[in-house]
Amino acid sequence: MIEAQNITKSFGDFQVLKKVNLFVKQGEVVVIIGPSGSGKSTFLRCLNYLEPIDDGSITVNGQTVGKRKLTSGQLVEVHKKNIYRLRSQIGMVFQQFNLFPHKTALENVMEGPITVSRISESEARERAEVLLDKVGLVDKAGTYPVHLSGGQKQRVAIARALAMQPRAMLFDEPTSALDPELVDGVLAVIKELALEGMTMVVVSHEMSFAREVADRVIFMDEGCIIEESTPQKIFSEPDHPRTTEFLSKIL
Amino acid sequence: MKFGPLDIGFQCNIFPVLLKGALMTLELTLLAIFFGTVIGLFIALAKISRVRILEFIGGIYTWVVRGIPLLVQLFLLYYGLAQVGIELSSFTAAVMGLSICGGAYIAEIFRAGIQSIDRGQKEAALSLGMSSGQAFRRVILPQAYRRLLPPMGNEFITLMKDSSLVSVISMTDLMRTGQLLNSSHFKPMEIYLPVAIIYLILTTIFIYLLGNIEKRLAIYDGD
Repeated sequence: MIEAQNITKSFGDFQVLKKVNLFVKQGEVVVIIGPSGSGKSTFLRCLNYLEPIDDGSITVNGQTVGKRKLTSGQLVEVHKKNIYRLRSQIGMVFQQFNLFPHKTALENVMEGPITVSRISESEARERAEVLLDKVGLVDKAGTYPVHLSGGQKQRVAIARALAMQPRAMLFDEPTSALDPELVDGVLAVIKELALEGMTMVVVSHEMSFAREVADRVIFMDEGCIIEESTPQKIFSEPDHPRTTEFLSKIL
Repeated sequence: MKFGPLDIGFQCNIFPVLLKGALMTLELTLLAIFFGTVIGLFIALAKISRVRILEFIGGIYTWVVRGIPLLVQLFLLYYGLAQVGIELSSFTAAVMGLSICGGAYIAEIFRAGIQSIDRGQKEAALSLGMSSGQAFRRVILPQAYRRLLPPMGNEFITLMKDSSLVSVISMTDLMRTGQLLNSSHFKPMEIYLPVAIIYLILTTIFIYLLGNIEKRLAIYDGD
């Protein structure tokens, strides 16, 4: 469903991603772990082209995102409209929530469907109410983000992404900015999505969550995928010494 | 009728004349605010467009306009252009001068306001599938408005006060009405005191109205 091949990306002289490959099947939950600065967040952001890539290709549902290779080997940007459409099919949840502060929780969730999918306001409202109910915040529909807790904001942000009825979801450290007591509520929502069969790529530091939800865990370091395996294997008998070292620090 | 040294009866007589001048000042200010805001928005967009030629033009505009006194600009527009065959009415020259000048400052206010919005806002909008234009209109600009308002209000008040400069290009605004009255009656205190008070009333009304708009936009700030 998501195929990323040879993704290469530099910020100035610093190579963040070195030929990273990832294939995510329909309904699969992939959790990416690794030390900060390993390129995992950048990689995730490349998947919906929030970060343009220098080389490689990304294909979602058979459609190429960002750049495609001509037969001459030259990389050209795919037409912007294709990027917009693909982004609308991949939901993204950010570490800092990035809710729209000038809109209520309900309006945040309605915004995508109204502006991008151009459905009617009443239809968008109905859809948004169902989703807010799903994340347990229907009573906060009329509340502005400033009056929500971090955990509530993140759950609204998940509802906002789901409102586009995406085929896959990307989570960029969704619980890293949360107070510890608020983490579980957000993780519960993500787990529920996993159970429903949503295709997901999650960058996370929550190892117990990874163990419970992931079909596959990927360990990244210094811009490369060092190891990928089932959570059982990677957490109990990792192949690579760097994985062992990282896990010993974090667990 | 006298009140101390002031001739109140005379002041009552000139009041309608001053009021006419005040209306002209108000008209000039409102037109300058309108055109200045339009110019300012376009210059600001040019400056953040990441299109080099547009950035360059925007930069030159603010550099030149902010670096030359408005008084000099008005002389150039009115007397200078007339000498080379472009004769503007004093009204046109006044509106142009004030709008061009206001536009440069307003552009800076817009630019700062737009750039102060967190990058994550644009990313969140893009991640939903919005185009850059949609993200700007639906997400960035509505938030920028809120932050723009206080500095914008300052600029509008400055424009109103600066509009008194157009008296030098024989525009009969409030200031020039006062000057004309004074040259025939020579009662500067009786004349310029009400002129000052009328300016003060006009700016106070502006501050009040802007304050009201600010309050209405503040609902999502939680304070």
